[in-house]
Amino acid sequence: MQQFANPTRFLSLANRALPTIWVVTIILFAIGLYGALVSAPPDYQQGETVRIMFVHVPAAWLAMLVYTVMALASAVAIIFRHPLADVAAKTAAPIGAVFCFLALATGSLWGKPMWGAWWVWDARLTSMFVLFLLYVGYIAIWQAIEEPTRAAMIARIVALVGFVNIPIIKFSVDWWNTLHQPASVLRMDGSTIDWSIRWPLLVLGLAYSFLFLALHLMSMRSEIATRKLRNLQIARSGEA
Amino acid sequence: MDWNADHASFVAAAYALSLAFIAGLIIYVFSRDARARKRLAQFQETKK
Amino acid sequence: MKLLLALLRRDLILAARQGGGVGTALGFFLTVLVLLPIGIGPDQVTLQRLAPGILWITLLLSVLLSADRIFQQDFEDGSLEIMVMAPASLELVALTKAIAHWLSTSLPLSIAAPFLGILLNLRTEIIWPLTLAMVLGSSALSLLASIGASLTLNLRRGGLLISILVLPLYVPVLVFGMSATTGNPEVIAPSLLILAAITLASLVLAPIAAAAALRAYLK
Repeated sequence: MQQFANPTRFLSLANRALPTIWVVTIILFAIGLYGALVSAPPDYQQGETVRIMFVHVPAAWLAMLVYTVMALASAVAIIFRHPLADVAAKTAAPIGAVFCFLALATGSLWGKPMWGAWWVWDARLTSMFVLFLLYVGYIAIWQAIEEPTRAAMIARIVALVGFVNIPIIKFSVDWWNTLHQPASVLRMDGSTIDWSIRWPLLVLGLAYSFLFLALHLMSMRSEIATRKLRNLQIARSGEA
Repeated sequence: MDWNADHASFVAAAYALSLAFIAGLIIYVFSRDARARKRLAQFQETKK
Repeated sequence: MKLLLALLRRDLILAARQGGGVGTALGFFLTVLVLLPIGIGPDQVTLQRLAPGILWITLLLSVLLSADRIFQQDFEDGSLEIMVMAPASLELVALTKAIAHWLSTSLPLSIAAPFLGILLNLRTEIIWPLTLAMVLGSSALSLLASIGASLTLNLRRGGLLISILVLPLYVPVLVFGMSATTGNPEVIAPSLLILAAITLASLVLAPIAAAAALRAYLK
């Protein structure tokens, strides 16, 4: 852990790893999209619409995974005072927000032919929506506070408070949903999905994860450069 | 994939939307990375 | 402990004397109650069905909009810095101030709200369950609001930001508050229990988070 603490060391590692990560990402996407659009059979009930799942489910997974990464990084920042942890948390948020938005939008595109409405207040959709709001709040706090160290301290608290609340919100939304509508909604039950549909889903999930890794490392690299520039500028204006 | 099936346009829209947003995100991240590193390099050069 | 009681007393007196406390919040509440039927239409049946939800959401907004008073003024006049140096821990100070906000704003509102529901043709038999749920839920609302208030202390445009940060956290209170008032008779008791559990959880979480945020601003 400590050897990653040094930004220079982190940068050289990231620079070396990034080309490989991009190649793996592209290969995974190629295989996954082939599986999703060509090899997987249409569902006997949902027809071709089932293929929306292959871009919807990975986006939803990543939206949750990225928030977890953000919360873990924030916890590391508080406990170990790790200098890169705040950078990691800050740069993960916009990527996670995009995945979260995609999960909502593709879910809506799936819902229109399946449920006959663009938006249904289903438990999962609602909790995803709340997750999106948490992302928006987290990003907004970074933009609202100008002083970077203070922004980092406040953002850590926002991320962790959100993370603690996610299970409670999820639980309450599930409860609310069962009160309001019977569980007639089509469910993607993990164990009953056929392998021909499951493997493209898993490959694309992996592809999205690698995409996140690549984008995250690059964003961290730009953030480190921006901070360094800022520090140098401050140092120089001090000399003059 | 049968593009003449019912609701095929919804499938196309979902993939197109995902592609558009992910491509946008990639372009944004790349351009910001290039910009940030260029600025830093320029600053460090003028310093010498 | 004596210190905290003194702080509580001070905050309550300040809230009572300065105005902007429960009076203004109640005014806001009434204003929204007038606007909603105008927006929805005066149909008695529709209003009766929507009344509990309207009352809950108006309560959330009133508590939220008065939340900036929890820390802001003390930050501006410097008394918060003195409280940091006080022998009591900052967590307990934050808790005390959240309790003061509850006693001065959320609690009176949550007692008044169900009776104002008469304006919305609220079914009279749910006035008491609603009051009970609101009194219980409003304490969680005040505690969560104190997190938001501390996070946005001294920020321009803090008002909008606090809404984005805190309203998602209000979702559980709203859900169980509603199911305690309009749900089936058999879910009312568990809903109230869960509402109490949410309050207890916020009682632990809110002072820690708020104190951490205050420290960041006071450094």
